[in-house]
Amino acid sequence: MTETAPSARQPGVTRQRCARCVLSAPFPNIKFDVEGVCNFCRDEVGARSDDTAIDRGRARVMELFAARKARGATYDAVLCNSGGKDSSYTLKLAVEKYGLTVLSFTLDNGFVAPAARDNIHRIVDALGVDHITVRPALDVFKSVVRAASMLPIYGEQSLTRISAGCNACISLVNTTALRLALEKEIPFILAGFTLGQIPANGIVYRNHYRFLAESREASMSRLRDAVGLEVDRLYGVPDSVIDRAPTYPYNINLLCLESITETQILAEVGKLGWKRPSGLDGCSSNCMLNTFNNYVHERRHGYSPYELELSHLVRKDLMTRSEALEKLADQPLEQLPYLVKSLALSPEDLATLGLSADGQVAG
Amino acid sequence: MNANQVAERSRILEGLVTFVTRSFMVEASDIDMDKSLIDQGIIDSFGLMEITTFIENTFGAKIQEQDMTREAFGSMNKMATFVYRRKCGEI
Repeated sequence: MTETAPSARQPGVTRQRCARCVLSAPFPNIKFDVEGVCNFCRDEVGARSDDTAIDRGRARVMELFAARKARGATYDAVLCNSGGKDSSYTLKLAVEKYGLTVLSFTLDNGFVAPAARDNIHRIVDALGVDHITVRPALDVFKSVVRAASMLPIYGEQSLTRISAGCNACISLVNTTALRLALEKEIPFILAGFTLGQIPANGIVYRNHYRFLAESREASMSRLRDAVGLEVDRLYGVPDSVIDRAPTYPYNINLLCLESITETQILAEVGKLGWKRPSGLDGCSSNCMLNTFNNYVHERRHGYSPYELELSHLVRKDLMTRSEALEKLADQPLEQLPYLVKSLALSPEDLATLGLSADGQVAG
Repeated sequence: MNANQVAERSRILEGLVTFVTRSFMVEASDIDMDKSLIDQGIIDSFGLMEITTFIENTFGAKIQEQDMTREAFGSMNKMATFVYRRKCGEI
């Protein structure tokens, strides 16, 4: 029997959800069978294919790490450290399980929860890791988030796993990490993505920057039109840096190789001093802006950007369905007034998003 | 191409289509086989990296840095042809 559940964005409105995972009716190309189970849960071929890709990813990671010692670089890896539980645990894996010398890097987008900053410091101190923070010009960054939230900057299908605002931020994290890796000749870039956030074939890949930059030129062009040429400073890597580097680094998502529950992750990072920040939405453990991004995504697309990731964890028995539903419902919408004020959204933008002049959910 | 070669290239294209539809939540009928997946809004640049990993893992076609061009990856048909030619040793 297909379950209906109230929408956090539209109180009183119910939606059809898969009886097994948490994907909902507006999710692209979803179909429900007579038992109310979605086609993604029924896709056994896809599940086997994922397992194969994970095994290949694991073998490739071991091969790459085994070959690293001859390089003589100061750091083996730069790790994108959001301060959340997943990147904190990934840092622990990198240092303790894989024995890597890591440079931890945080992009401070102006919305990192203060408690998350404290977590970053506690974790890097506990693991004895060097850490740097990069804070982009926030006026430009906020303009990018505004544009990504209000305009069709990114392809619609590329936003099934991530909100437009998060995509803008993650792209900046990735570009900044790549620049650091190239400048310091660091062979690996690590991030704390989980399966569901990325497909299994994204566990290991070589970061061919020029090709990637060419591939995303259409969205960059739209971003330039909306924000200005400053976006090139944020999202570009100078030719001089690329030309000087001997090779492109590999991006590796170590957490995808683990079969671990959130409870176990919290226990492990808790031993290092990590504490769950309060006041964030159920799907984030570091960023205050996530609540706004989730709201916009659900408003534009009709489903949460976390449905795919959480559904994957439910199918893998790493989270119960009710836990996943709780996370989706846990959205501190009372923070929207602060967030939209900070982003300086126009009255027209607010109206488009169904928000009152002071940022409250209208109606 | 002879009949066997056409069949092999079709098999590669079919595998690519299955991967893209499964990974990026689109129907095969939504895809224009002669246009860039990025230009069609189906994938982003990260998605392209996933496709290259899939190609290497599934078809055993090693992809070098110099292969990363729009000529090779600018559409589903171009990717299928690239993989076929690489497997045959033509490139």
